[in-house]
Amino acid sequence: MPADRFPPGTRVRTFPHDPPHHTRLPRYARGKRGVVIEPEGPAELADVSAQGRGDAPVEQVYAVRFAARDLWGEGDHHVVLDLWESYLEEDHGHER
Amino acid sequence: MSGDHSDATIARRVRRLETLLEDKGVLSGARLDEIIDATLTGATPANGARVVARAWVDEEFRSRLLADGTAAVRELGFMEGSYQRLRVVENTATTHNVIVCTLCSCYPLRLLGPSPSWYKSEAYRSRVVREPRAVLAEFGLELPAGTDITVWDSSAETRYMVLPRRPEGTRELGEEQLAALVTRNALIGTAPV
Amino acid sequence: MARINDVGGTQGFGAVDITDDAEPFHADWEARVVGMLNALREQGLFNTNEFRDAIESMPPAEYLTTSYYERWFEAIRILLERKGVLRPGELDAG
Repeated sequence: MPADRFPPGTRVRTFPHDPPHHTRLPRYARGKRGVVIEPEGPAELADVSAQGRGDAPVEQVYAVRFAARDLWGEGDHHVVLDLWESYLEEDHGHER
Repeated sequence: MSGDHSDATIARRVRRLETLLEDKGVLSGARLDEIIDATLTGATPANGARVVARAWVDEEFRSRLLADGTAAVRELGFMEGSYQRLRVVENTATTHNVIVCTLCSCYPLRLLGPSPSWYKSEAYRSRVVREPRAVLAEFGLELPAGTDITVWDSSAETRYMVLPRRPEGTRELGEEQLAALVTRNALIGTAPV
Repeated sequence: MARINDVGGTQGFGAVDITDDAEPFHADWEARVVGMLNALREQGLFNTNEFRDAIESMPPAEYLTTSYYERWFEAIRILLERKGVLRPGELDAG
């Protein structure tokens, strides 16, 4: 088992794509910055599996924590989503 | 429009589909009965209440539950053979957790049984990620200012359950009496206990 | 494109009806639908993600005016037609 691409604490950014098929990245969390809490374990990528294909890749899923302010521009709560690895990229420009 | 279908109409269509599937050899009525029984038997909020009460009286169990919910509830005979993971999130004096599935209605069915209607409603799913404080207030749960609220949006294979705070004045109660205090809403995070 | 099921943060659904319905199902047919879904999945006829995809693909007006388990029933029908188990329209034909 290779090491996880995004260890706990990694700052990530979700992909901004609006795919023409089933996905488990809600629109409110697209193109948003968050922090990886920890890996949740591997799972078949829902986007591909939903097309009834037997070749869905298995990817690590990460619990990712978002500040309400980064999602909605206001609010003091946090939202956690479980996101497949291909929904995420490392966020190098997170200086604030 | 489908919403105008009376209960009788949909019930008739469901029966007809069952008959068609039986005739085609896809499904047997007996197997369907078995599956329905298995779905209904054993999975109730009382399971979650038992897990919570155990965590309240057994510190080591509580640690195991928070570290690996799936393994810990299996010690009590729950979620055997499920492919899903369970993550238990703990409320404290300064933090509060609440569970939702904004995309559909993911819920720890295998442990708690079918979810309440409000959990599946668009009103709850749309609002709790945006304004949790206001939604919790509608449930009568007013959290002190400064409480850190985390909303867990179940978007993959992990299912969530809240470990509520043990109420004050319950030192004398045994595990069973404690379990009787725990409501389904508390396991989702919309009630204190 | 985002679908009608993707409601997180959407305005306008009003207050939450917090009625605590203790009964798992409101009618027998709801339990039959849940049983059918589990039976068909168990046979590998379709997977959970295909099932969700079928629900989400409902026209928005229909999704919003259809009860929860009725959505499930429609999704099962659509998938059975897609997989060739049912002919299109067979369920409601005479």
